[in-house]
Amino acid sequence: MDSSTSVTVTQKEQMMVEQRVFQIYSLFADLPPNSQSFMLEIQRDSHIDYLTNGLRGLGSSFCVLDANRPWLCYWILHSLALLEESIDEELENNAIDFLSRCEDPNGGYGGGPGQMPHLATTYAAINSLISLGGHSSLSSINRDSVYSFLRQMKQPNGGFRMHDGGEVDVRACYTAISVASILNILDERLVEHVGDFILSCQTHEGGIAGEPGSEAHGGYTYCGIATMILINEVRRLDVAALLDWVVFRQGIECGFQGRVNKLVDGCYSFWQGGVSALLQRSYPIISGLVASESEEYSDADSTLSATSDIPECEHAAIGGSSLQGDNEACHNNPEGTRDSSAPTNLNDVGHNFLEWKASMGPPFNPMALQQYILLCSQLQEGGFRDKPGKSRDFYHTCYCLSGLSACQYSWSGDLGSQPAPQAILGPYSNLLEPIHPLYNIVLKKYHEARDFFSST
Amino acid sequence: MHGRPRKAPKPEDSAALAAKSQKLRSLQSQFLSFHHGCTYSKEALETSAKLLEINPENYTAWNYRKLAVEHNVNECGTDPDSIKSIFDEELRVVENALRQNFKSYGAWHHRKWVLSKGHSSMNRELMLLDVFQKLDSRNFHAWNYRRFVTTLMNRSLEDELKYTENMIEINFSNYSAWHNRSILLSKQLKEKDKGLSFQDVLSKEYNFVRDALFTDPDDQSGWFYHLWLLEQTIQCEAPLLLSSWPANGADLIISGNGCIHAATGLLSGLPIDLKRFPLILYFNQSVEGIDSSTVNVEAEIYSNKDLTWKPLSPRNSCTSRVWVAYTDLSGIDLSSLSPQRIRVRLGHCAGIMSSNGFHLNKPVNIEYSIAGKYIEIEPSERQENEIFSWTDDDSYNSGELDESSPIALYMQAVEDNHEAAASGWHIDIVTEEINHFRDLLTIADCKIGKLTLARLLIARDGMISPLRNKMAHSEEVLDLYRDLIKLDPPHSKFYKDQSSLVLLQQLISSRKALLKYCFSYKGFKSSQSVDSLVCLRLNNLSLSRVGSFEKLLWVQFLDLSDNELHSIEGLEALQLLSCLNLRNNKIASFSALEPLRSLKSLRALNISYNEIGSHPVDTRRYLFTSPISHSGDISWKRDEDLPDGVSMENYWEAFIVFKDLDLVQMDIAGNPVADEKFQSFLVKISPALKWLDGQNLH
Repeated sequence: MDSSTSVTVTQKEQMMVEQRVFQIYSLFADLPPNSQSFMLEIQRDSHIDYLTNGLRGLGSSFCVLDANRPWLCYWILHSLALLEESIDEELENNAIDFLSRCEDPNGGYGGGPGQMPHLATTYAAINSLISLGGHSSLSSINRDSVYSFLRQMKQPNGGFRMHDGGEVDVRACYTAISVASILNILDERLVEHVGDFILSCQTHEGGIAGEPGSEAHGGYTYCGIATMILINEVRRLDVAALLDWVVFRQGIECGFQGRVNKLVDGCYSFWQGGVSALLQRSYPIISGLVASESEEYSDADSTLSATSDIPECEHAAIGGSSLQGDNEACHNNPEGTRDSSAPTNLNDVGHNFLEWKASMGPPFNPMALQQYILLCSQLQEGGFRDKPGKSRDFYHTCYCLSGLSACQYSWSGDLGSQPAPQAILGPYSNLLEPIHPLYNIVLKKYHEARDFFSST
Repeated sequence: MHGRPRKAPKPEDSAALAAKSQKLRSLQSQFLSFHHGCTYSKEALETSAKLLEINPENYTAWNYRKLAVEHNVNECGTDPDSIKSIFDEELRVVENALRQNFKSYGAWHHRKWVLSKGHSSMNRELMLLDVFQKLDSRNFHAWNYRRFVTTLMNRSLEDELKYTENMIEINFSNYSAWHNRSILLSKQLKEKDKGLSFQDVLSKEYNFVRDALFTDPDDQSGWFYHLWLLEQTIQCEAPLLLSSWPANGADLIISGNGCIHAATGLLSGLPIDLKRFPLILYFNQSVEGIDSSTVNVEAEIYSNKDLTWKPLSPRNSCTSRVWVAYTDLSGIDLSSLSPQRIRVRLGHCAGIMSSNGFHLNKPVNIEYSIAGKYIEIEPSERQENEIFSWTDDDSYNSGELDESSPIALYMQAVEDNHEAAASGWHIDIVTEEINHFRDLLTIADCKIGKLTLARLLIARDGMISPLRNKMAHSEEVLDLYRDLIKLDPPHSKFYKDQSSLVLLQQLISSRKALLKYCFSYKGFKSSQSVDSLVCLRLNNLSLSRVGSFEKLLWVQFLDLSDNELHSIEGLEALQLLSCLNLRNNKIASFSALEPLRSLKSLRALNISYNEIGSHPVDTRRYLFTSPISHSGDISWKRDEDLPDGVSMENYWEAFIVFKDLDLVQMDIAGNPVADEKFQSFLVKISPALKWLDGQNLH
């Protein structure tokens, strides 16, 4: 190795980013208090303008992202939902109409009208429609055909293909399982061996890679752990190693990096911050408080058989629906005690997840992350970016805002409750809507969808 | 999702933009009509190629091209040249598309598809990859493709290792290259039959990574690799049985109430549950494959086949350093049981394997005897009616225990059971590393260098003395951690934990040293209590973590009070534990007590004056190696009504820990959680409880 030029390209880039970020922070530190609080404010109006203009612009100047159009819808609509902003009726109808034109007659949504159905755009389309909410939006989803598309994408090794003839990776598993779970159509046939595939992607670093042999990566780690929770198999992961990996991805710039020795990037505020939010609430599932029907690999010991004897309603009694004082509902459960061989209903996992309180504090520094998002990623004229020096886009806007929301609620034992003012960096008006961390959908919208799809 | 939009177009003038989008739109609609009409003409193919060169993310167009290839190959019959040219055209289109966006999933995938058909030469692939990997050396698509292509080509591991070497020489911060090196090397180490010497491979690697580390100790990539390498070196050895309970050569006498005696006297005086008489095996690394076929137990009083082995690990369920099998002695008339020899043999056949695939290859024999004993009084009744006074120092007498006491005999067995590890090349490798890092530290005050040196020293001591009886470098390691606590305050808790573990190893490194911490307990006031209890007192030592459990398997009465413990991870190995004093520590949640769940003999527990409940959520839980652990049996019977105003949801963590324990005495005062409501909850879930915070409940 040439020791005369010991500074590598990677190090040079890192130093430049640090310099830029610290310049912003030291500038901030020297400001008078009232200017400081202005800098920390979420520029709601500019963000809303930027986002709604983007939605109007769909179909004309955005055709470079032609195979990703439902993603644009999701990034924009979810960002607006986080800001608690609704869009006018005409725009809403246009969006629903557009997304239904992306739907393939045989099921699933493509990247645009006439394109083949694709799992990622199916996830984006469905999350968009749920983020819009309302009867016409939710009823536009054809669950039977989505289910048959998911089945077609299922592979013998347990994974999913992104599209007919497409790649098999952890992203595909997450988008398929997330969509099935939220639409209440998740079943054994979709779940079979998914856990084996995800497990084969956890690396010696602790995080999860896109495919076996690759290096651990924030986006895939989120997808992997969210999938494992949704299919009730998160216990199979080496959760301790995963936690170890994720806590060290928050750097001195205060934001998260996606992989070891890479530059900070605002979008990982959600991918890595989301992993943390999931870990904070997974204890009951991992410790076996929630019946898991994945016992065959866990232990043949007879003591474990007690696990599946828990009547379903008791999860709620232990976990917290009694928070609302409705223990009664539990005792009136017409199903009564479940058969000991009957598995937990997989479609309830995402819902039950919300009932578990956070059992540990945030395994990262949420204040520092909010600082990075607000001061380094936020543009005063609207939108968020990867890092200073880059330009804004809807992808980063969506995942910076999602990460910000995850930070704000990271101290809340229970996701539905208002966080304490000291959990919010900047004025309390910065508070965003809470998200469901397994689907990245605003909680209210999630509940609406859950009610809709469990009653129809 | 990860297909991030490329940068928004530069503000061009709107007419140009409109023209561009017009062109793309017409291409798109043209393409779709060809696609839906299944037209695979030359013109149609060109349209899709143009579209893909502008937007490689168009996966529909890639699929169209796959259909077109299949169609056209069918058409052209068996002429190999025309088939090859069809596939070559695909490679060209992909290459152009990648030049536009080399993060396109669709383009890389299409290339994999073309090559997997086997009609194309692969000579160009490595050259092309070279170009892309130099443009963006962290691009994971390219690395994935590289692993795909080299497997397909059957390229040698040596050549690929050489490639990562070149990449690292260009930029030693390139973690993707280091990572790929770890993948390749793992493969190489597994190919044992190739006659490669581990020694050569690993020692070359250490030299290589050291070059990078010493060039710039502030770069993190190489350190991650070095840590991984050290792990491989340590695990590059067959697993070893460190200790067992009962130990080799032990002569145990058990009375009908469950008290265990050695040939010359009472071991601790505390009864254990005869239904769960344990046989514990403690290894130096996690192993799997412990069952009645790999561990053969010869005994007359029970059959080998009846033994069910269970890993005692909060982690993955099938591997563990500690394994236990329980036998039920409750049906045996112990008052007249003559000495029974029991032989435990393992390692006589393959099957016990470490996570790196090494088999326990040295046969191990453990022999001990169990005899019954007739007793007149029932000390178990005494114990249930009498309360421990935990804090009264007068209750503990030192000096009575010496080398001739039964405990000493027992520990003798522990020591004898273990042979010194053979010297070997891996010790030499680590020794050499230690010298290099000592040198580095003389010229640079480097935190990670100090931590690595500490890890290397601990590893070396462990290799030389697996049971850690001779910790030659303890002092140096403790000094390094002391330095690190000063240099790096944000991680001081981690360093403190590490140094606690080393300190404890040092304190109890020999039988003689361990005896200094053994006391006889005379706390019972009742005249019936003639037997003394042996208590291991590791109190007031500023420990934040405890370890060295392989030497403590015999302990029934453990005093860890007045330390700084926030975790008791590993304590689950002490299956005989009856009394545990954790008073005045820093336990912050019930989940931190999870190891207690498998200690079914536990009768008296003092967790008073800790910090349980002082935070609504446990802010330090993530400091444990295993914050969230694997475990099973939870059920809550609906008919077990809770007292008024007590809601399960607040106490489920306590419920998990205490539900299956039969605690008789518990002290919980001095924790924020311990209010009246919680006390009534505890009483409810622990029917055997007689004493709570010194109060008789009956």
